[in-house]
Amino acid sequence: MRRIIDSDIIALMARIILAGIFILAAYYKIVDPTAFGTAIWNYHILPTQTINIIALVLPWLEILAGIALLVGAYYRGAILWINIMLLVFIAALASTIYRGLDIDCGCFKAASSAVGPAWDQMNLDIGLLVLALLLLVSRARKWQLANLF
Amino acid sequence: MNMLRQAFVLLFFASILAFGVNSFHPNAIPLIGEYRELTEGSEPVIPPSAAEGDPPFIAINEARSDYQAGSSLFIDARDPSEFDCGTIPGSINMPFEYLPEDSLEQYMDSVLAGAAKEQTLIVFCSGEECDVSLHLARNLQAYGYIGVKIFFGGAREWENFKLEIERRVDCAE
Repeated sequence: MRRIIDSDIIALMARIILAGIFILAAYYKIVDPTAFGTAIWNYHILPTQTINIIALVLPWLEILAGIALLVGAYYRGAILWINIMLLVFIAALASTIYRGLDIDCGCFKAASSAVGPAWDQMNLDIGLLVLALLLLVSRARKWQLANLF
Repeated sequence: MNMLRQAFVLLFFASILAFGVNSFHPNAIPLIGEYRELTEGSEPVIPPSAAEGDPPFIAINEARSDYQAGSSLFIDARDPSEFDCGTIPGSINMPFEYLPEDSLEQYMDSVLAGAAKEQTLIVFCSGEECDVSLHLARNLQAYGYIGVKIFFGGAREWENFKLEIERRVDCAE
């Protein structure tokens, strides 16, 4: 088991998948911050005064964490953020399911007219969290920019 | 500790980029947004596009009491597919985007089955992200229906308040 967790090739694949998804997800949110702010508001979780600040900072944190994870610089910090973000996304989606809210999750687009089932998105996030947790405990350190310095 | 320090550095640069890019962004947003706080249901949702002379906007509490009284006609302005997925029970579907422009009055009269012009008509769509309820209500008013009200909170607010929803099709998947 430890050998699988510490596998360099598995860690690399997990990094590419997580980084790709986080960077892709961030792009649409940066292009249309108004729609992303509205998507956050729809969850009815955060105080309204904080929504725009989060709508602005979160996508850039997703991009920077994705890039850092991919290239292997600020690697541990990036893994920490990706785990935290995934846990928050899962908790937010679970709360919409619990409260019976039928909202657009704002996950890959800032907003869309099609309302996707929250369960599907939560299952994807749980799968990603498994990869992120694997990277958190893995000792694999190959193919990282930090090794060059 | 190293992990926390790195996480802080990433957050710091993300904040710099976020606020820096926002100041040049064509769709820049203010740091403190104007979002509606959730109410207890007594305040109507009124869209920014509302204009003087529009039919009155009603809160969920009023829509609910009208529904329970049973004397009002609820009109869902969304597409038939959305109407089938879940609507206020007993609503009539009048999809604004498919209205026949050349015979609008006859269409309205036939869908409303000859309802009196004074009949209370409560028009709604999904919620705050759609405005077809507003446009449909304006049209109904223009054709003489004087009892039109707009429930802009729509099917979503109705569902949020745990009120009954009529589903013709299971759209969960």
